[in-house]
Amino acid sequence: MVNGLNLAFQFLDSFAFVVLAAAGLAIIFGIMGVINLAHGEFILVGAYATTVSATSLGLPLPLAMAAGVLVTALFGVVVERVIISGFVPNWIGQRTVGRDLVEPLYDRLADSMVATFGLSLIMVQGARIRFGNSIDQIATPFGNVAYGEFSYSTYRLVLAGVSVALLVVVYYVFTRTDFGTRVRATMADEQTARALGVDTDRTYMLTFGIGSGLAGLTGALFAPVLSMQPTLGSQFLVEAFVAVVVGGPSVVLGTALSGGVLGAVNATVTNLTDSTTFGRIALLLTAILALRFLPDGITGFVERVRTRREEGE
Amino acid sequence: MATGSTDGVAGTDRSLLGRVRGRLEGPNTVGNSRGFWAGFALAVVALVAYPLVGSGEQFSLFLVLALLGLSLSVVWGYSGVLSFGQVVFFGVGGYAFGVVSINFPDATGITGAVLAGVALGAVSAALLGYFMFYGGVRDVYVTIITLVATMVMNTFMAQTAGSEWTIGEAALGGFNGMPAIPLLELGVSGVVSYQFVFNSIELFLPAVGAVEVDPFYYLALALLLATYLGLRALVNSDYGRVMVAVREDQDRTRMFGYDVKRVKLLTFTLGGALAGLSGVLYAARNVYIDPQVFALWFATLPVIWVSVGGRKSLLGAVLATIGIEYFRLSIEGEMALVVLGALLLVFIVALPGGVVPWVSDRLAGSELEMSEIDDTDAPREVTDS
Amino acid sequence: MSRDGISRRKFVTAGGAALVSGLAGCSGGEASDGATTDTMSSADTVKIGVLEDQSGNFALVGDPKHKASMLAIQEINNDGGIDGKEIEPVTRDPQSDNQRYQELTREFINEEEVDALWAGYSSATREAIRPIINRNEQLYFYTTQYEGGVCDETTFAMGPTARQQLGTVLPYLVEEYGPEIYTIAADYNFGQLSADWVKVLANENDAEVLDEEFIPLSESSFGSVINNIQDADPDFVMSMLVGANHTSFYEQKASAGLDIPIGTSTAMAQGYEHERLDAPAMANIYAGVNYMQEVPTTSNTEDGGFVDRYFEKYPDAPYLNEEAETNYFSTYMYKEAVEQAGTLEQPEVVEALESGISLGTERAPEAPEGEEVTLDGATHHVDHHMWVLRADEEHNVEAVENRKVPEQFLSETVGCDLREESEQTQYTPVDYYEEAE
Repeated sequence: MVNGLNLAFQFLDSFAFVVLAAAGLAIIFGIMGVINLAHGEFILVGAYATTVSATSLGLPLPLAMAAGVLVTALFGVVVERVIISGFVPNWIGQRTVGRDLVEPLYDRLADSMVATFGLSLIMVQGARIRFGNSIDQIATPFGNVAYGEFSYSTYRLVLAGVSVALLVVVYYVFTRTDFGTRVRATMADEQTARALGVDTDRTYMLTFGIGSGLAGLTGALFAPVLSMQPTLGSQFLVEAFVAVVVGGPSVVLGTALSGGVLGAVNATVTNLTDSTTFGRIALLLTAILALRFLPDGITGFVERVRTRREEGE
Repeated sequence: MATGSTDGVAGTDRSLLGRVRGRLEGPNTVGNSRGFWAGFALAVVALVAYPLVGSGEQFSLFLVLALLGLSLSVVWGYSGVLSFGQVVFFGVGGYAFGVVSINFPDATGITGAVLAGVALGAVSAALLGYFMFYGGVRDVYVTIITLVATMVMNTFMAQTAGSEWTIGEAALGGFNGMPAIPLLELGVSGVVSYQFVFNSIELFLPAVGAVEVDPFYYLALALLLATYLGLRALVNSDYGRVMVAVREDQDRTRMFGYDVKRVKLLTFTLGGALAGLSGVLYAARNVYIDPQVFALWFATLPVIWVSVGGRKSLLGAVLATIGIEYFRLSIEGEMALVVLGALLLVFIVALPGGVVPWVSDRLAGSELEMSEIDDTDAPREVTDS
Repeated sequence: MSRDGISRRKFVTAGGAALVSGLAGCSGGEASDGATTDTMSSADTVKIGVLEDQSGNFALVGDPKHKASMLAIQEINNDGGIDGKEIEPVTRDPQSDNQRYQELTREFINEEEVDALWAGYSSATREAIRPIINRNEQLYFYTTQYEGGVCDETTFAMGPTARQQLGTVLPYLVEEYGPEIYTIAADYNFGQLSADWVKVLANENDAEVLDEEFIPLSESSFGSVINNIQDADPDFVMSMLVGANHTSFYEQKASAGLDIPIGTSTAMAQGYEHERLDAPAMANIYAGVNYMQEVPTTSNTEDGGFVDRYFEKYPDAPYLNEEAETNYFSTYMYKEAVEQAGTLEQPEVVEALESGISLGTERAPEAPEGEEVTLDGATHHVDHHMWVLRADEEHNVEAVENRKVPEQFLSETVGCDLREESEQTQYTPVDYYEEAE
């Protein structure tokens, strides 16, 4: 019984980590077809903004976290306007040489990878130059949950709760609001959406801002638990990518399911083999198998089963 | 079009040079004019002479990495498979070379180790390729699988430090890397062999005096040139046209009756063999290999090189690899990484097709402009009476 | 190291040296026999190469090393240099990239022709450049704490070994808390070998290792590790966690309410977690190290001592860490050896080092870690002055034990004597101790 509780908590921990790592990336990749290799660095911005707000400005933790999210979202909008859509360079180009200078990076997988890789170099080194090799960390709030001879940090469990809440909120926004409908329309068929009057340009900008904000939220939430160094983003990258692609086309459901599956595999194998290394390898191998046997990701598979069953009826 | 020059009648010229040029030229590579080949010859001469003025020992690294860049160019630029996993085959080749050469440390054994490294690079690529292509995995998912494969290798190899992780005499070494790799000596022991690594050839040149050059540099250069020319011939051949067709539109090519999966698998295997060769040379040159070759950073580098150079251009891959790596090693100071990142950003956003195709378009474009002016003059001359 | 063939650089610098030597003045000490004629073969400066990470993954721990080397060089130059010759530091940033380390090492040896090289934080870096070092017979100082066992003819491992560090803190904790130990370590060479040493030392101290757990370097979630420790219920934990991701363990253990004593060789002294993390994350952590900024020796903490001098030169530096001190005193040991040898020629300097160098002389002042620090010539390792330092609930650090701990593994168990026999090997405890299996 007690060991079952351990497993449950470790699973929630893993689930939260994967979901929060992937959330921002899923939206940007799913909707804009842009691979953001600087995703880890957006998390860095959120973490640093939160920490600096809390330590230097003395804001209470929830406000500091809100500040972290806001700063990252704004930063994301700037990146989108300047680099991803090329709006700003083209605006300058129109006014100086009379033509567009660059093409947007949407749906250009490899090129967006190179561009965001360059961006990540700038961000990491920029953080190092501005803040040094490390900044002081904020303490983890709340205490712990004790059961038998074991205990678990309450905050980590709170993170699990936040990740679920996050998924619900994103789901609500994407399916129940006008904005969400416009985003999904743009994602499905940009030309038609534009023909129907959707301002796709603005939709992209806002979506990237939201995705960045979510990454910032991840950074803000993990700020009390991570070592505040410029390289802190890299630990999220692999889980984030793997979860996004394994999840499939449906952003919310996909992230949730892949977070669940990968988190479960990681926690179980780690517990069985008593080796975190093998837990990690198992997670990665599961991803490879999932991609091989479910080529459209988990949600794509679910879709196909559902359509086949409907056709069968 | 790339064939801007009017003396591009090489194919019909029956001389040996003409036949060779016919093989090496075509629409799938840049540079199909006499001017190009003249420049190429000049570049080769410059590279051969480089160790006299610069450090051949250091430059050989870029030549070795250029092979890795070529392997990605073949797989991605010419078959449309964006592989993050070239470094997997690179690392497998390097480690295989280490294991075999430590167990058989004489010249024959080491030569065999080189072949083993290339072979294992090819085999592992074939296995992964079969798993992916014959399993129906497409596009971005192929990329992610190759990326995850790299992560698996990284995590796994980093913990092979214990003494139980030994193949024969060779300890895998874990995070600290594989120690005691023998110095690269090719040939057959007792008959004819030559040590290429940590060796030097003394040349006596008039007016300069005694100069020492690094034989490994020339080995790497020779292999790079052979590979480049060989790949040029390949992509300009019939098979090369099929590769490009697969890249452009898989479904249409399949409908024409080509076995697309087989083409992708074969190309991917070739890419694995090339990456394996690069890995072998890398391990031989450094007398060392460690799991950092499976790191995300190193896996991204080939994508950077080929993207900036021009993915559809073999020459672009080579030039960009050498250029970027040389630049990366030379820059110094706090802002170095910032400058590097900014340059990558600007390059890819401004020249999305890559540098070499852009330059080649410019060169071809200027020639067209000239002929256009000629054309517009001609009627006027006629009508102006 | 000497190379055949004319090196243009050597020719020019020798010519320049001939011009400058007349203005150089006398050397500071009396031991300049043969110095003037022998050292004419190289320039009139001493070239010291320093390759330490100032960016990348190891920047946090590598940067203080770089700074301390520069401090030592500056101090020596202000004091007249080595044998009257000024030290010219040659530095570049290897960015925590082993490939880059290899290229820069080649450049430093072949083009810059450094007389001595300090390079690298991680063991992987050391192993990556050792082939180049060995080929060129370059005098090389490796100053990080490491797993131990390197018996190499031109490499001088100046940092404490795992046996020295763990051998100081483990017996203390066994005595204070009891014999049941749980090991957690980073899942790579250093962590695994350190865990082997824990088993050896446990055997020597009538203690028992209940279980070991290895965590990959990329992992930052320690929920399962914490649960496992709670399940095993040991008397204390030995932690050899490494790197930024593993720092999260201390934060997570504190918030999970796990307050078991932890002995460590890696935490606090290198990455100053007790300053970066909020109390009481590092409470009850015992570091077994040769140096921390808080070490209470006169040469370290008195007015104008090592700490003061370091922060005077680098007022914005966050902390003065373990390896920085090793970089610092090893530079002085080098100075001592050169002046003893009377030449910069590397084989002779190596020989001088092998005769055994002690600090606390006019030429090489006391090391900040303690009075009795000597270089063991046979093994190329240092008999350190070791400390056990404990952080309390408010993260105040106090020293609870200290003594001189000689290098033991290579000298006694393996029998490595580089004065007699040339070698380039790394030995591991598994080959010598059954209990390390």
